[in-house]
Amino acid sequence: MGAAGGTSAAGNSILSAREVHRHFEGLRAVDGVSIEVPLKQITGLIGPNGAGKSTFLAVLAGTLPATAGTIVFDGDDITRLPAYQRARRGLVRTFQLPSEFARLTVLENLLVAAPHNRGDSVFGALMGKRYWMEDERRLVAEARALLKRFGMSAKESDYAGTMSGGQKRLIEIMRALMLHPRVLLLDEPMSGVHPKIVEEIQHYLETLRGEGLTILMVEHELHMVERLCDTVVVMAQGKVIGSGTMATLRKQPEIVDAYLVG
Amino acid sequence: MNSFYAANLLVYAGVDIIACLALNLQFGVSGIVNFSFIVFQAVGAYTAAVLSMPPDTAFGYDFQFYFGGYHLAFPLPWIGGAIAGGLLAIPVGFVVLRKLRSDYQAIALLVLSVIANTVITNADKFLNGAAGLALVPAPLSDQFDPNSNGYQFFYVGLTAVCVVVVLVLSSRLVDSPYGRSLRAMREREAAAIAIGKNPVQLKMTVFIVGGVIAGLSGAVLVGFIQFWAPSVWLYPETIILFAAIIVGGRGNNVGAILGALLVPVGFEEVTRLLTNASIGLPPGVIPAMEWVAIGLLIIGFLWFRPDGVRPEQRHVFEDAPMLGDE
Repeated sequence: MGAAGGTSAAGNSILSAREVHRHFEGLRAVDGVSIEVPLKQITGLIGPNGAGKSTFLAVLAGTLPATAGTIVFDGDDITRLPAYQRARRGLVRTFQLPSEFARLTVLENLLVAAPHNRGDSVFGALMGKRYWMEDERRLVAEARALLKRFGMSAKESDYAGTMSGGQKRLIEIMRALMLHPRVLLLDEPMSGVHPKIVEEIQHYLETLRGEGLTILMVEHELHMVERLCDTVVVMAQGKVIGSGTMATLRKQPEIVDAYLVG
Repeated sequence: MNSFYAANLLVYAGVDIIACLALNLQFGVSGIVNFSFIVFQAVGAYTAAVLSMPPDTAFGYDFQFYFGGYHLAFPLPWIGGAIAGGLLAIPVGFVVLRKLRSDYQAIALLVLSVIANTVITNADKFLNGAAGLALVPAPLSDQFDPNSNGYQFFYVGLTAVCVVVVLVLSSRLVDSPYGRSLRAMREREAAAIAIGKNPVQLKMTVFIVGGVIAGLSGAVLVGFIQFWAPSVWLYPETIILFAAIIVGGRGNNVGAILGALLVPVGFEEVTRLLTNASIGLPPGVIPAMEWVAIGLLIIGFLWFRPDGVRPEQRHVFEDAPMLGDE
């Protein structure tokens, strides 16, 4: 898979940010960021602490509103769309800190994310089990297939809050997949995870890309970024200071100085 | 135990169960700390009262002032009470649930409860102020004698029907995919948004449904005690219901029912027995100690058994693999 080379892949992009700003009082956490996220690739977002990567991800997902700029997803301007509607359209994020639903079982964590369940409305629920049981059965089967694929079938009835840090990451990724996302926004999916599970997550992400999923991923571990990401965007002090493959970025002295030292 | 006492106990138990099922839906399942719950019960009670009472100019009622007085036949006052609870939830929820963080929601709702009580107490031409509404007609009292033994148990039956209907409907909500979405929102709102849930819509809906049920509980109660005044719905009444949910077990209807029986009903009765037996103690000591006991009960349970007598049950699905199946 070739490098997309910054914004040159615009024609092939599913998500684009144009001159996006996010200011907190006087602080310009995101200061005019423009990127294109190419379809069916993994795009890495790297940069030193405080570069504004997670804030930018939150703005893309709608968790934080943009102060200025435009976000286009699949041809539509979604800048003013609330976060939950972006998720329903297939732009789904995960969080830097574990964000499982602790007192729901692992299987329920997946089921709750599934759209198109007739029982997931007041009317449907009041109609009783018969009204939504068929949807539920279908979704349980779908969720179980995911659990099996991620090696967590035996945990399906355990509370998600009792899982390890790495397992919670997996739950979050599986939960996002239940929405059939078009773009997955991952905020440091490997942070605080046991090295063995890091390997697993890497493997799963590669498989998902192989299946055509588009991923934008904030990540600190450069060797992981190098292995996984087709394109890498470097941010510092709220701005994009470069993009391309890791190999090309390593040749740019200002980027090496800013971030890639060592 | 005479039959009036038994009927009284059973109707109160039914009303408390209905109220606890509603509060469990809001607080236990959805995480909305509705510290103004009792206001919704009160609105239901007042509405049922003015819908069933004749105008305040009517003979025998002209010693009190209130608006309305529509003299409607049963069950319209009860239906009206339930609708009023739901209608009140719309503006309150609109103001409180959209922007505020959950701890501030709780404070705002508590303040609302205090303000509402003060306003009704002082607006003496509106719902007869502090004196409250008296001589509220019991349902079907034009056909039966409300003071007869038979009527008392007929009322218990009416209450039981309401309990069953509310229990069936709230169980359908709690044990459904919709209930699962509510629990997800309770657990972590930001993550619920990230999977496409609209928390404002979920909270508003639960607030309105809870308001309807709370309103019904008020209507049932006022038809039985035939009286309603601000002193009946002071904000600590809400705390008793919260204690019931915490003691019984949050997030499940069995826990809510247990809590209703253990705290409001159980405490009331224990206090009554103690008051009868408390020779030599200054008057008012035992009822005051009830509040101390409620506080200790909440703290004790949150400390030692935070999930209550009957904790929320894990939802295990059919054919779930067992440990080691991998």
